[in-house]
Amino acid sequence: MSPKEIKYKLALFTRKTRLTFIIEKIRVKYVDYLTAALEIILSATVGFLIAAILLYFMGYDPYEVFSILFRYGYGNIGYLLSKSVPYIMTAMAFSIPSLAGVFNIGGESQLYVGAFVALLVTYYTVNPVLGLLAGIVAGGGLGLFISILRVYRNINEVIAAIMINWTIYFLMVYLITGIFYDPKIPHQSIQVPKSAWLGEFLSPWGRIKVSFVLAVIGALVIYYILYYTNLGYLLRVSGLSPLSARYAGYNPKKAVLYSMLLGGAMAGLGGALLIIGDVHNIDSTMSTLYGLGFTGIGIGLLGRNHPIGIIFAAIFFSGLMIGGQWVELKTGAPPQLTDTIIGIIVIALAIPYAYRMLISMIRRWRMK
Amino acid sequence: MSDREIAIEMRGIHKIYPDGVIALRDVDFIVYKGEIHGLLGENGAGKTTLMRILYGEIKATRGIIKIFGKRVKFHGPWDAIRHGIGMVYQHFTLVPTFTVEENLYLSYVSIEPKATIDDVREKVKKLMDELGLKVPLNAVVETLPVGVQQRVEIIKTLLRNARILILDEPTSVLTPIETKELFNALRKLKEAGITIIFITHKLREVKEITDRVTVLRRGRHVGTVVTDKVTQKDLARMMVEREVVFKIEKKPKEPGEPVFIVKDLWVRDDRGLMAVKGVSFELRKGEILGLAGVQGNGQRELAEALAGVRIVERGKIYLYGKDITRLPASRRYSLGLAYVPDSRRVGLIFDMNIIENTVLTNMYRVITRTRRIKWGAASKYANEVIDKLEVIAPGITSPIKYLSGGNQQKIMVGREIIREPTVFIVAEPTRGLDVAATEFIRKTLLALRDQDKAILLISTDLDEIMQLSDRIAVIYEGKIMAIGKPEEFTLERLGLLMGGVVES
Repeated sequence: MSPKEIKYKLALFTRKTRLTFIIEKIRVKYVDYLTAALEIILSATVGFLIAAILLYFMGYDPYEVFSILFRYGYGNIGYLLSKSVPYIMTAMAFSIPSLAGVFNIGGESQLYVGAFVALLVTYYTVNPVLGLLAGIVAGGGLGLFISILRVYRNINEVIAAIMINWTIYFLMVYLITGIFYDPKIPHQSIQVPKSAWLGEFLSPWGRIKVSFVLAVIGALVIYYILYYTNLGYLLRVSGLSPLSARYAGYNPKKAVLYSMLLGGAMAGLGGALLIIGDVHNIDSTMSTLYGLGFTGIGIGLLGRNHPIGIIFAAIFFSGLMIGGQWVELKTGAPPQLTDTIIGIIVIALAIPYAYRMLISMIRRWRMK
Repeated sequence: MSDREIAIEMRGIHKIYPDGVIALRDVDFIVYKGEIHGLLGENGAGKTTLMRILYGEIKATRGIIKIFGKRVKFHGPWDAIRHGIGMVYQHFTLVPTFTVEENLYLSYVSIEPKATIDDVREKVKKLMDELGLKVPLNAVVETLPVGVQQRVEIIKTLLRNARILILDEPTSVLTPIETKELFNALRKLKEAGITIIFITHKLREVKEITDRVTVLRRGRHVGTVVTDKVTQKDLARMMVEREVVFKIEKKPKEPGEPVFIVKDLWVRDDRGLMAVKGVSFELRKGEILGLAGVQGNGQRELAEALAGVRIVERGKIYLYGKDITRLPASRRYSLGLAYVPDSRRVGLIFDMNIIENTVLTNMYRVITRTRRIKWGAASKYANEVIDKLEVIAPGITSPIKYLSGGNQQKIMVGREIIREPTVFIVAEPTRGLDVAATEFIRKTLLALRDQDKAILLISTDLDEIMQLSDRIAVIYEGKIMAIGKPEEFTLERLGLLMGGVVES
């Protein structure tokens, strides 16, 4: 052996010295989990602290507000879960494209078309399955449309999506008030026939809506696609490093198209589940639908862009929403205040991840 | 000469990066006022680092800088600009959709906020008359040829009262005619008393345009000479001469039949310019063909075209007699081609773990007919990589970013080896690695050669080329300058060829 080789072997040996090696192993293996856990605890503390200070200075008792928030927010499991359904889906509409490096702010309109098309199809066919499928197709189609503009026409997806959001919003208001209104209650759309409603079932935690189960199944399917298939791998690789994707023989443009198709389909399914499984019609001001898509962005970030994380994030957020209404009711706090409190908590929890995502996005742009 | 006024005086410049890489070691750099001074060196010689220090982009670890005799300390490029230093980068910093006038105005208001566009127009016209440099003021920048855009860049810096102009490899983006025009322009600037620093690795250009030249080699100052008093050969020797670092044993071996044939290949780079211009070669079983050349002479484009990542403009690529010119990369990989890119940022996904990174080029081996990834099989391959290449890693599920550079490189090479491909295209396999890892990778390449694989080794490291190659080819501006046995090349000849000097 040459002196060089001996030196190298020696270095190898010392590096493999048992104790340091074990520590190193633990460090590398769990460092991500540990930092994630620490991050969540820290940001939750900061969020609640800021909210508490705000409440205090506004003249409310923070302890009372928080105890109402949590007691009532998470008291009725069935209601809590059914409320989380659209959030799960719109969060995925944001997160799937985001993993592939696309910013989908169009979850809003993708949910609208999903809801509306599902409503029409179930109204005329009285078949909830067809309705759900139609919702998926409609939402996916709209998502795909935005990504086609981006890939083949080089139009910024954010601007395109925002414009489409408003176009679809007003188009739907027109359709609901002008054509598909309920003759008996004109400020509402036609209703999904009762026989096509997705029902509920009894469980140890109360009545659970079928739509929630379907939403969870949707999230699991997405989880499978993202982490166990070629397509998901393509999306994730393209999102993390488009150059590596090209090197491996993938086309990063395909990732953009597929991710928006999947994301849009999830938002569409969210709209369909909401209509067929929960509210059964759309009012002429669209108050049942408005904002669900935008909120999905925050929940996607809260769930660390992971389908399973998103389920829990959506449930957590729904609880805050429900609890917030109870806080208004019991303490007489204005809705703006409860919205602010919820906003502070969600932002505090989402910020570390959002920050990292932003940094990696900037890095990706530089590399191009 | 010594009575001439000194424009730049840099003495004892050291630059040590936070990761311990020593980029510059005790470099002196002295430029007289009104001369064109060449800065010559291979990749990684420290040319750009030195100039970035002068321009205030980075700070020297040690050393002093004087501009026109005054000691200065720069905190950023703005300080350098204030002292009359201007830099023209290889990649221009113009707004492509603005007109020339608007671009010049944009840069001028940063030092003179009250100026109007009319003032700027006046000033530019005067400047152009004085210097005899002409640019169309109302043309939109992206419609102009590259050479004219470069002239806009030069005027832009002069407009900000630059007395010292740094040009970073200015001819690398130009056609020969544009180069000639640039040189004429530079001569006029010199007459007007502007000091010019000309960074390059092209020997011919050094001889043609510079008055004096400073040669750097591996972060050290080799010498500063008056251009007229040296030959291109002298310069080549100064640039590449080195002590042999270590020797690797190489068994003599007769190469087999050709398995990978490239015929008259033309490839464009990202900007749409021809980067590979009619490259042809044969790669035989059991040989390492070393492709030497200074970075940016079409190596990356060539490698990418061979791997199927970049579109071929013209020409053919054959693997075992089969035309693969139009096949996508993933198909080529499954046919027995392997490509190790020159950058770990391309070859590896830092946020993914070892298994996921192993899968990147091995996808066709772990996928079922339903497009499902068999992660079990993938882990087996990842373990194989770790075993075969002695990768030091805490486990196959740890993210690649936590491994050292050498171990990352081993993964990149190893995941190709376990596929048992027959043709390897390897680019810069040891860049940035320590001695032990370098030796390991090189030995691995030799072992592959002994197993009758065909290897194309693309490297800017001449030691590596000389140590490993059974045959050597030199690439310059997208063309193969020469190809032959290592015995036919002396370091001096390699240096000349890499600098674009055609043998007579």
